[in-house]
Amino acid sequence: MDEPLKPGNGGEAGPAPPADPLGQLRELLLAAEQEQVVRLQERLDDPRSRAEDVSRVLPEAIAIRSRQDRDLTDSLLPAVEEAIGVSVRRHPEVLADGLFPVMGPAIRKSIANTLAEMLESLNQTLALGFSRQGLRWRIEAWRTGKTFAQVVMLRTLVYRVEQVFLIHRETGLLLAHASASGEGVQDAAMVSGMLTAIRDFVHDSFAGGAEAGGLDAFRVGELAVWVEQGPRAGLAAVIRGSPPRELRSVFAEAIEEIHREEARALEEFEGDAAPFEKTREVLEACLKSQKQPAPAGAGRVGRARRYAPVLAVLVVVLAGIGLWTFAAVRRDRRFESYLRRLNAQPGIVVTASGRREGKFFVAGLRDPLAADPARMLAPARLAPRDVVASWKPYRALDPSIVAARARSFLVAPETVSFRVGGGALVASGTAPRRWIEEARRLSRTFPDASRYDDRGVADTDRKKLDAAREKLESRRIFFASGSSELGPSEAAKLEEVAPDLSDLAALAAAAGLQVRVEVVGRGDSEGSSDVNTALSRRRAERVVSALSAKPSAEPLTAIGVGSTQPLAPERTEEDKQLNRSVSFRVVLPGPRSAQAPQ
Amino acid sequence: MIQKKICMLGAFAVGKTSLVSRFVKSLFSGKYHSTVGVKVDKKLVVLGEEQLDLLLWDLYGEDEFQKIRPSYLRGSAGYVLVADGTRRETLDRAVVLQNRAEEIVGTVPFVLMVNKSDLGEKWEVDADALAELEKRDWPAFKTSAKTGAGVEEAFRTLARRMLAG
Repeated sequence: MDEPLKPGNGGEAGPAPPADPLGQLRELLLAAEQEQVVRLQERLDDPRSRAEDVSRVLPEAIAIRSRQDRDLTDSLLPAVEEAIGVSVRRHPEVLADGLFPVMGPAIRKSIANTLAEMLESLNQTLALGFSRQGLRWRIEAWRTGKTFAQVVMLRTLVYRVEQVFLIHRETGLLLAHASASGEGVQDAAMVSGMLTAIRDFVHDSFAGGAEAGGLDAFRVGELAVWVEQGPRAGLAAVIRGSPPRELRSVFAEAIEEIHREEARALEEFEGDAAPFEKTREVLEACLKSQKQPAPAGAGRVGRARRYAPVLAVLVVVLAGIGLWTFAAVRRDRRFESYLRRLNAQPGIVVTASGRREGKFFVAGLRDPLAADPARMLAPARLAPRDVVASWKPYRALDPSIVAARARSFLVAPETVSFRVGGGALVASGTAPRRWIEEARRLSRTFPDASRYDDRGVADTDRKKLDAAREKLESRRIFFASGSSELGPSEAAKLEEVAPDLSDLAALAAAAGLQVRVEVVGRGDSEGSSDVNTALSRRRAERVVSALSAKPSAEPLTAIGVGSTQPLAPERTEEDKQLNRSVSFRVVLPGPRSAQAPQ
Repeated sequence: MIQKKICMLGAFAVGKTSLVSRFVKSLFSGKYHSTVGVKVDKKLVVLGEEQLDLLLWDLYGEDEFQKIRPSYLRGSAGYVLVADGTRRETLDRAVVLQNRAEEIVGTVPFVLMVNKSDLGEKWEVDADALAELEKRDWPAFKTSAKTGAGVEEAFRTLARRMLAG
């Protein structure tokens, strides 16, 4: 004990004897300092007081050193890590409680991301639903730039948080309560206890693990109860309707705030809920609600204006769909009418039709003599590229096709037409005699008719012959009374008769007929019949001789009939003159067998 | 307003639920017992100047003491041990339950209700047994859920003890 008391100036050890004058002097001079030195020494030697000293300067020292370099951090690091490790192992709840306000937001963020992904898949699911409301939401999503899922969430999740309980975790006692209607408060303490009991029950029954979480939400009819549990207190919210998941974060933030603000009160809770009156504000902030947006009359104009572009687009789209439908329907109608035309067409049988790869198709049987189906497209107002056709040839027995086939088989002229009736092929019209006879022969080998009836076919050659004959027979060559001489005008007439004769001969030859022309001379009733007969004969011979002088004259027969075959009954002088004449008579016997066409 | 959680503990059919019913006018119907397994009731006790809300947790069919769930007892400021005076073994069970409760919640006030005092002729719990408990400083009450005898007094005693603690 003496050693440390030695003063620093190298004086003698131990307290000086009072007799020592030097010691006395020293004591007189240095007593105060000596006492200080002793106290200083004591402080230095006492670990407790040294610790107190260090504790006074430690915070500042750490601050100063931390500003200078990182050595302090480095040297503290192993110890702090070790300490945290030990702490987590021994008292996990302490660290958990401390981290709770920090970890909450971080965890929520990560959950929000997961939720967003889930909503995306929800979006795809809902994309298939095409209700009227769904369409409206889709348009809204497109208009507002939100995702469809967000819109659905906004529109469907309508809710009201009716009551919020702040419940002490350990005891289940009610700390604070807020209700939207202000009622039900008197039972809140019991409800709080029951909620806790139920949570405990579920937790114990199903969760198993010590801290495996508990019942966070349950539903009673249209009421949902959500529990947001903190380390020392939980928030239970009674919600009517369908709350959105975002509401959870509201509760989570509230319970975090309460833990932050009321940490001490929560820790020291002994049954007195008075300190938690302050949390009412936080709880009341949780009494959120969302109403189904009703179309307000005032906002209607604005809404209409906002919807205008949407409506315009809709109208255009609908008009487009309408036009397309109209065009499609019209094309279908036209195709149907085309098919009807085809089916009505003889020699065409449609066996299949329909739509294939955006085009119409038609298949069936077609007689080569039937109308060309491709040519019938235009009358039906269809484009050839719209219709694919496939025809197989066949032999039709439709009367018109048989008739057409007969025409081609018999090589008939345009003037002959055919029809089929009662198993017979009936021909009508006009045709040269040569063809008529050839057709009659060929018809015996025509397969599609049992008989050939050509009674309706007029012989064109014969007609011409008849016309020539009529023309010739209308000619009159007149003579003066009693004369058989040709006057100048009558001689001129014979110039015209000559070609008539040669035409007749040519036509008769073509018709295969042998023609004979009689030149008939007449006289009036004046005088005796013998005279008249002789005179009439001379007149006929005169004309024959005049005509015979013409080139290519036909053989003519002169006949004198006198007044026996008058051209007109004689009442006037004109009638007599008419009978003083020569006329022509064409005699057509049967066909000349030698010249019949082969 | 001070609130306290109190648990009812006792062997099967000793009358826990009847005692609670006698003590409070219940908000919840009895069916909660069978569905949720627990019923919580509230009773306001006035002790002079102090007002105390007792929240009585009553479990259904909590017969075997091993089955007592810690969560049920957790946070209790006190508990009520119930025994059936006509069945001696229920008193022994109460002693076991008291030990178990103390393990879980520590030393907190409790009272013992020896119930069915109205069935005096069938009484099995003798004076010695009760005297033994008195010696261990157990506040024991003879109660009758049927007549109400001793019920109020027992609960009020517990309330007083909790406030003092």
